[in-house]
Amino acid sequence: MNRYEFEDLISDYIDNSLTLSKRKEFENYLTEDPEAQSLVDQVSYTIDQLKNIQKVKVSDHFNDHLLKRIKNEQSKHRLNPVPNQKRFLGFSPLYASLMTGLTIALFIVSLQLFAPDKDTFTKQNRFYVKNPVPTLSSPKIAKSNPKSQELAEAKEDSLDQKSTKSPKKDYTKQIQLVKD
Amino acid sequence: MRQNSSNLFAMSLDKQDSPFVYTDEQLIARFQTGDEQAYVELVNRYRDRLMNFVFQFLGDMEQSEDVVQDTMLKLFEKKHYYREIAKFSTWIYTIARNLANTELRKRKRRKVTVLSQMTRDEREYELPAIQPETGQEVQNEYAEKRIQIAIHALPEHFKTVIILRDIQELSYDDISSIVGVPLGTVKSRINRARLQLQADLKDLR
Repeated sequence: MNRYEFEDLISDYIDNSLTLSKRKEFENYLTEDPEAQSLVDQVSYTIDQLKNIQKVKVSDHFNDHLLKRIKNEQSKHRLNPVPNQKRFLGFSPLYASLMTGLTIALFIVSLQLFAPDKDTFTKQNRFYVKNPVPTLSSPKIAKSNPKSQELAEAKEDSLDQKSTKSPKKDYTKQIQLVKD
Repeated sequence: MRQNSSNLFAMSLDKQDSPFVYTDEQLIARFQTGDEQAYVELVNRYRDRLMNFVFQFLGDMEQSEDVVQDTMLKLFEKKHYYREIAKFSTWIYTIARNLANTELRKRKRRKVTVLSQMTRDEREYELPAIQPETGQEVQNEYAEKRIQIAIHALPEHFKTVIILRDIQELSYDDISSIVGVPLGTVKSRINRARLQLQADLKDLR
């Protein structure tokens, strides 16, 4: 047994809670080292001193003061009774409504995020476009580029499908019958 | 109905002779069903024990009594929080310990903010110089003061267990429940605390 082990077992030795083999080992160490015996005696003496320390008591008015405090607390509760609130699944009405709102919001967001039809997502996005794509007829572009100004002043837009109606082509003459 | 029961409580508080032969757990069970005399008996059983316990923490009679009052008030108000899975003694000691710790924390904050308060607290631990011709009583008083100072000087986790074991004489199991640490840790802490106290108090012998 080394010094560290010995110190660890002092209380167990004094409390008489060591196993027989450990106790023998401990006592062998004590006989070998007189300082160790002195330490055990001193610790034992300290424990006795602690046990015999003078006990303090509460004052004679302890119960009276306690009674007053209890009465005060009871009258406080009577004056300010806790309102008997209805509860929904353990939540107060305010928290219950907040939780419901949050759940609905989460449901909507998750629907939008994980919806299989992505078009719905893009279609809705168009409402959030703040700066529309500039067209040739927009005044900013017209000022900066003279050619584009001419184009802008043109009566008909070449890209307008309504104004440029391409004539229907007759393909009947070009069809040839192939004999087998 | 409520008023009647408080009157009964008021009368029974003055009773010093205990008519009860119940265990603490039976008493708290009776109190939980509305028997306020059971509460009075619990107060009478534990007020001095808790006072001793808290006083070793705080070292001030008035503050210690306030903490014990708070503990008993908590017992009155929160009686339904007690469940019989633990011993009543460990429950009430835990409440008192928590309240004492709160008081200590408050005191520490006050120490930081108010400098004059700090000097007063230091004066509390001032020791009178022992004279060779002083009688046994004075020497005992001196020894006790030294022991209290040595206990105060212990780290918090050592202080609680040594008070509960060597002054309150509770079992290791109960201490383990109160402090909320394993039995082996409690034993180790008690042993270390005893060694530290022995080192501080060896000149007293």
